[in-house]
Amino acid sequence: MSMLNYMLRRLVQAIPVMLIIMVGTFLLLKLAPGDTVDALVGDMGGADPRFIERLRAEYGLDQPVLMQLWIYMTKLARFDFGWSFVHEQPVMTVLMDRLGTTLLLMISSLFFAVSIGSLLGAIAARKAYSLTDNIISTLGLVFYAMPSFFLGLMMIVLFSVKLGWLPVGGIQTIPSFYEGWDYVKDVALHLIMPTASLSLIYLALYMRLMRTSVLEVADLDYVRTARAKGAGEWRLMVHHIMRNALLPVVTLLGVQFSTILGGSVVVETVFSLPGLGELAYKAVIQRDMNMLMGIIFLSSIVVIVVNFLIDLLYARLDSRIELT
Amino acid sequence: MLKLSRWLAPSLLAGMVAGSAILPAIAADEEIKRGGTLFYHMVSEQRVLNPALRASNGVYEITGKIVEPLIDRTYDGYVGVLATEWSGTDDGKEITFKLREGVKWHDGKPFTCDDVSFTAMNFWKELLNYSSTLQANLEAVDCPDPHTAVFRYSRPMPLNLLVAAMPDLGHPLPKHLYEGTDLLQNPYNAAPVGTGPFKFVEYVRGQYVIAERNEDYWRGEEYPYLDRIVWRFITDRSAAAAALEAGEIQESGFNGISMADIARLSEDPRFDVGTKGYENNVAHSTIEFNHRNKALADVRVRRAIHHALDIDRAIETIMRGYAKPGRGPIPSAGGDNYTDDVRTYEYDPEKAKALLDEAGYKPDANGVRLRLRHRPAPWGEYTQLWAEYFAQSMREIGIEVTLLTNDAPGFLNGVYRDHDFDTANGWHQFRADPAVSTMVWLRSGAPVGTPWSNQFGYENPELDKMIDDAASELDPAKRAERYHEIQKLAMEELPVIFAIEHPFISVTSKTLKNHHNTPRWNSSSAYDLWMDQ
Amino acid sequence: MSVLESEIGTAPPSGWSVMWTRYKRNRAAVLGLVLLVIVLAMAATAGFVEPVDPLRRAGDPLVPPFTDWATPLGTDQLGRDILAGIFHGARTSLLIGIVSTVVAISIGILVGAISGYFGGWIDDVLMRVTEAFQTIPNFVLLLALVAILGSSLQNMIIAIGIVSWTAPARLVRAEFLSLRGREFVEAARNLGVGDAAIIFREILPNALPPVIVFASVIMAISILLESALAFLGLGDPNFASWGNMIGAGKAVLRSAWYCAAIPGIAIVLTVLAFSLIGEGLNEAVNPRQKKS
Repeated sequence: MSMLNYMLRRLVQAIPVMLIIMVGTFLLLKLAPGDTVDALVGDMGGADPRFIERLRAEYGLDQPVLMQLWIYMTKLARFDFGWSFVHEQPVMTVLMDRLGTTLLLMISSLFFAVSIGSLLGAIAARKAYSLTDNIISTLGLVFYAMPSFFLGLMMIVLFSVKLGWLPVGGIQTIPSFYEGWDYVKDVALHLIMPTASLSLIYLALYMRLMRTSVLEVADLDYVRTARAKGAGEWRLMVHHIMRNALLPVVTLLGVQFSTILGGSVVVETVFSLPGLGELAYKAVIQRDMNMLMGIIFLSSIVVIVVNFLIDLLYARLDSRIELT
Repeated sequence: MLKLSRWLAPSLLAGMVAGSAILPAIAADEEIKRGGTLFYHMVSEQRVLNPALRASNGVYEITGKIVEPLIDRTYDGYVGVLATEWSGTDDGKEITFKLREGVKWHDGKPFTCDDVSFTAMNFWKELLNYSSTLQANLEAVDCPDPHTAVFRYSRPMPLNLLVAAMPDLGHPLPKHLYEGTDLLQNPYNAAPVGTGPFKFVEYVRGQYVIAERNEDYWRGEEYPYLDRIVWRFITDRSAAAAALEAGEIQESGFNGISMADIARLSEDPRFDVGTKGYENNVAHSTIEFNHRNKALADVRVRRAIHHALDIDRAIETIMRGYAKPGRGPIPSAGGDNYTDDVRTYEYDPEKAKALLDEAGYKPDANGVRLRLRHRPAPWGEYTQLWAEYFAQSMREIGIEVTLLTNDAPGFLNGVYRDHDFDTANGWHQFRADPAVSTMVWLRSGAPVGTPWSNQFGYENPELDKMIDDAASELDPAKRAERYHEIQKLAMEELPVIFAIEHPFISVTSKTLKNHHNTPRWNSSSAYDLWMDQ
Repeated sequence: MSVLESEIGTAPPSGWSVMWTRYKRNRAAVLGLVLLVIVLAMAATAGFVEPVDPLRRAGDPLVPPFTDWATPLGTDQLGRDILAGIFHGARTSLLIGIVSTVVAISIGILVGAISGYFGGWIDDVLMRVTEAFQTIPNFVLLLALVAILGSSLQNMIIAIGIVSWTAPARLVRAEFLSLRGREFVEAARNLGVGDAAIIFREILPNALPPVIVFASVIMAISILLESALAFLGLGDPNFASWGNMIGAGKAVLRSAWYCAAIPGIAIVLTVLAFSLIGEGLNEAVNPRQKKS
């Protein structure tokens, strides 16, 4: 089947997925007790009934659920994500404000995790069962097993309070108004601990996966044949093993994009980073429906595109899989 | 998100240069230093920066420095800010304020009675939570001249009640910026224009608010002493404590960091830690009963529960000593309205068990007398601890308590609408006068689903009458007496246990001077605050 | 199995002891097993350590460890015995880890195997469903589920299972896609073996190794997810759980760090145990030649 056909089919299938997600989430969230007004009023520390009634009518929350769903979906068709009553701004504005921080955090964490993790995993596989292997593997597992928020808090205590090397939180030093290179350095400093907290878990994952994959593939016929032919070990590793061992790593990468957003919820909260993760948590707690739907919509699109690309990459890497 | 405010730097620079040229007008014990930026911790973000639209501590902490009320409260009593004098007629239906002359809004326009009238009729009466109940009978605000405002009520309004409410609920807004607009969507709700010592500069959501010195402040050229205030939003309390210690913030108010860190920093010589400056903002930790539960409808059971609570120990453990045992719906900061000449319940588990036996709740084969489902309110660190403490204590007298976790919407609906609970606990603020705060817990008749009202199924017609009479009694002395009666009855009947009164706590860097010098300092304007840098 | 191994003379040793020999070779895996046994022992003996109630007030608040033998590991903010919390918490964590994982893996295997084997429109439909679940950030979905269902222990377990099944499904599907074109499958089909038998007897055993490794990953993730929920204040306060203890210990982190550190270490060791065991199992099932 041609590539173009495949692409079109995937695109067409993505649409019902999105619909299922949006409608399903909307209805699911409506099942949660309470709504935005309850959360807002709770935040304020109290209000009288007239105020609350007025707020509800204002937000359209006094209408039947299906009506609200209909209104929402029609707006969505025009790419109008609606108004966030909690933030008093259009959802799109808030999302765009926050997207940069989270993307930066995610990309640097994944980059760090994949590169260092794969490298360590390959080294461990090369020296399989030796002491080096055991140390690397166990260390990786310890990183993996440690809750990221615990690690984050301990790092703050050590590096910010005791040593004063790194800032406690936030994305930049207010109001220093750095420009250019200074600004980049300032943001980078603020991201060191959050990236470390978030990435160590995925680092361990990639390390183990790479190690397992390399070991698996090293055993297969065509690799043995290559070795028997006298091709050098380095060439072996890079061309044959790496190419096939990348398969599960690539699969996992597709999965991680969605998971790491969840991981960023906690890390962003600990470090007070203004990102999508913290936004999502607040949106659930405050029943900010429009905001939550906006986040889910945005991340859904990203994940679908990423998965699609990964499947293509996958098929190219393993020529034995047919894309029926 | 990563915004650069390029225009800001030069104007701030200009401000600082201009500011440093002014000599201090007052010679105090210490030489007052001009200048500096205050970094202030905000643990939650209210998003609406308009004190005439949202009555909430989180709003006052920011806007109180930008928008001023008619009257503020100091340790010398109520003093006029935008008002200079006030008086009421004998029948209580007219209250007149004389307004301060020569005051300008931050955009240069003059402050007049029109602003007060507009704000009172459109915001205080219609939109501001808590205030709409207070101003329900307000018919009109007349302006015989630009600096006199006459409030006319259809039913008598005690002068001392209105005056006590003004610091929180009496902020005028500039009419020329709001008239003819959609009041709720007006962009000035997030960019306040006021008359205060600091002018709004910028609000980056999720991160900070900045305000800078008002060069034309009506109190005089020397005020305010600071150049700038930056409010930083840090929701994680541990991170906030770390920021305090690293010197990144100088003030964290309203229990912005955890009790454990408060206790720890109180030993740190760099900080002032205490409850001074919060006398106007006392809160109660409560145990609320669902009187629809047959067992809890029996006053002996409620008294037994109170006897099983070791309040002193809870104060030590949870509040680290920064609290007092409660004596009813009116706390000790309630002034003349307060009395502690009431029935009390000392910690006595044996007595508790005896009362339960008497009420007919004997232990079963597992030693369990009663099972209760308990909802803790989700705000504040100590509400969760207080709930767990409650469960611990109840187990010792044979009451099995299951704690339900819920977030804010879940709690509000569970307790106030669905009545799906047996006991609950929360903290409730006392706002200077019982009529606008704690009485609402005791008076029956609120519609189902009204949060923070008596949704407990408790109805006592005698108490209802006492509450109504007290609210409209014009003679302050008689009024106080009526509240004493209510206090006594509340402690006899225990519809709600007002277990602990706790003021809020601030952690302040010692580099700040003149801090916490009024009973509602964190909500007030801080015009005389200075930094020893 | 390689040709060499299957042709060695003398009666072949039983499958289990072969696996155990292979497992033993990995010392780290044995360590994992030891750790797991310790955790199981803690869960089993919790009733002896604290027969009444791990949440009761056992002493003064914030007593440091090793100062009072009635509470050997110290007490927390409300005077609860930390040692009792660790032992009883072991039960809770094991329960969460195991049951959530069983739920997640069962769904995952079913969906992944059917999807990967049959391909075509069945694959399309199941993959769309999987994608839908996978696309929503799992922690956000978990938060929403917990907000709806409430924070009781059983509901948390169900919610964690629901957000975790997609990864094993994809992994299984990937393996099936890779394996279904192989010669031994063709051969089985030619012999007339039915689809179900091919799926479960021929392909699945070969597809399992990464899933087994992943089972341990999911078990670990489940425990970490529960602790994250507790950290955010959404745990079940009626049970002693390590997550709750860390959440409670957060407030006193700077003055009494042991309140959070001790359960944190317990989590790390338990997660470590599951992971090491998973790895050991993986190699025991799929032996490799040692590279000397």
